[in-house]
Amino acid sequence: MTYLRTLIVAGLLGLLLSVPASAQTRRIRRARVPYQPTMADSTKQGRGPFAVVVSAGIGSSYYATQRGVAPILEQAALNKTGVPLTFRALWVPDHRLRLGLETGYVPMYSYKGVVNGQTGEVRVTAVPMLVLFQMPLAWLSGTPRSLMRRLSVTVGPGLYVINSKLDYMGTVKTSSNSLGWMAALAYNQPLGPRLGLSAEVKWYDAVAADDAAFAAQLHLNWRLLRW
Amino acid sequence: MRHFHLLLIGLLTLMLGSCRKEYDVVEPYAFANTPGAGRFSTPVRQAIEGVYAVTEGADLFGEQVVLKWSTLRTGSDTLHYLSVFTADAGYFNLEPQPQIGGLSVAGYWRKLANTQTGLARLAVEVKRNGQRSAFTGKLATGDSLVVSGVYGENNLEPTKRLTMVYRRPLNARPFAVLAHRSGGRTSDLLPASENSLEIIKMASRLGATGIEIDVRYTKDGVPILYHDNTLNLRLIQKNGLSGPIESYTYEQLTTFVRLINGEKIPTLEQALETVISHTDLSFVWLDTKYIGPMEKVQKLQQQFLQRAAAAGRNLRIVIGIPSQDALDSYQALASKANTPVLCELDTSIVRSVNARIWAPRWTLGDQTPEVDAMKAEGRTVFVWTLDEPQFIRDFINQTRFDGILSNYPSVVAYYHYSEQ
Repeated sequence: MTYLRTLIVAGLLGLLLSVPASAQTRRIRRARVPYQPTMADSTKQGRGPFAVVVSAGIGSSYYATQRGVAPILEQAALNKTGVPLTFRALWVPDHRLRLGLETGYVPMYSYKGVVNGQTGEVRVTAVPMLVLFQMPLAWLSGTPRSLMRRLSVTVGPGLYVINSKLDYMGTVKTSSNSLGWMAALAYNQPLGPRLGLSAEVKWYDAVAADDAAFAAQLHLNWRLLRW
Repeated sequence: MRHFHLLLIGLLTLMLGSCRKEYDVVEPYAFANTPGAGRFSTPVRQAIEGVYAVTEGADLFGEQVVLKWSTLRTGSDTLHYLSVFTADAGYFNLEPQPQIGGLSVAGYWRKLANTQTGLARLAVEVKRNGQRSAFTGKLATGDSLVVSGVYGENNLEPTKRLTMVYRRPLNARPFAVLAHRSGGRTSDLLPASENSLEIIKMASRLGATGIEIDVRYTKDGVPILYHDNTLNLRLIQKNGLSGPIESYTYEQLTTFVRLINGEKIPTLEQALETVISHTDLSFVWLDTKYIGPMEKVQKLQQQFLQRAAAAGRNLRIVIGIPSQDALDSYQALASKANTPVLCELDTSIVRSVNARIWAPRWTLGDQTPEVDAMKAEGRTVFVWTLDEPQFIRDFINQTRFDGILSNYPSVVAYYHYSEQ
């Protein structure tokens, strides 16, 4: 499982690393001609524009780390898939790094079986509360239609509230907190001046609880504010 | 841009390096648990116990070790184990090898401060005029006992020499070696989980003469053994459940929850039954981790004290009072007769509840005047929870406590039995 996490992290960051390299090459080429900014220069006076974009996302998730099943239910029916929901607010400034907050609902896994003639079921879900750092893969290069400008990488450390529900000779609902993180790669397609649609693949990892899920989502983005 | 690259490389290193490393120790030896002591008769076992100089293998086990026997009863049979305690939280767990000629033992060694472990095979002989011969239980003047053999790393065949030469008998001063969490911590990767029946059975082999166990109540009021406030991956195998243990009934816990090494969470009744039926432990400290009525614990305490007395066992079972809440619960008991308590609070409270044992925290220091006053009043004084070998040695040598509670009873045993 460490290898899978390593591959995902290395892949996302490798992509990030490769982009500055190509951007550097293009900058060397551009050095032969006078610099003509194509977007807002964050060093000049009178900065802007700034925006706050809110998003709602839905998709599918797959629990991707070692699941724990009560040994007495070894033959239990296990469900590792679910429908994760995401709600996000992102501050989009006139420079590359965007900051935001994310929460939502992530089904982790559930299992069900029969013990002593009684049905037992355990369901584990998580509510992430993450601080987001997002960057488009390209900034002062290409055109607004360039693929690299529309691809973005997001990482988010934070807290997961892990909820567990046991149905066996009564119902017990409990929750615990776990530090964790999230990493995502998204493609953003503008649909209008204030509306956009994103396709996002992401990795949720509640480290202390040893719960992790891979998710693919569609996000509807709406520019709430602009100044 | 170069700084941006460095930042990303640093972030990548941090994320990959911060992955938790999981440690594990697999007990390399499968015990045959053959009943009886074989050729290790009672006089032979008594003669073997002592402080030994390590003449070969001192680089790993130190220059001096302590050898001590312990027993485990299984029904009408008794199993015998030879333990070796080192100064640096190391121990050997050895059993007689009746199928091999002479006085032979085999088992494994372990360092609790890390994950080092390995197999060991040793034999007991007599050294006389430079010549070694079989030990028959009698030593002539000038004879010295030698326990020697081989040890190895992990599951590898033992090849390295280990020789221990008898130096002196064990320190006979009465002293309680109390094991925390029923024998030791799960985080020290012992073969059994903390607060399990299995670790209670193992406590004597780790050097303990008594144990402290953590008592909580389930949702339906069953006293059980569990240390932490919540179900968590430090103590239990992953099963999807979390939250306060008091949220679950005993039936739910026993069905869905297993401790790290696969054991069920035991009830207090099962734990006390194990102490009486299987061990020679002389002291049980019921640490009060719950808030609420104490009657059920008191009832079990009295029930098993009677059983111990009927069996002729010198066993003390005391209820710990670590907090004002526990004190309130104790004072709310309808009757306090036959309810020995151990008080961790101030000496004035110890006197007010007439606790026979006072147990202050070790960080309060030697407290010699208070300890002397308590002992002059006929009380016993323990100190908790002391794990650092240097401090354990100093508390044994320089203070007047009657016992030490530790996560490393093998270290306490080493320093107590080797004290001159």
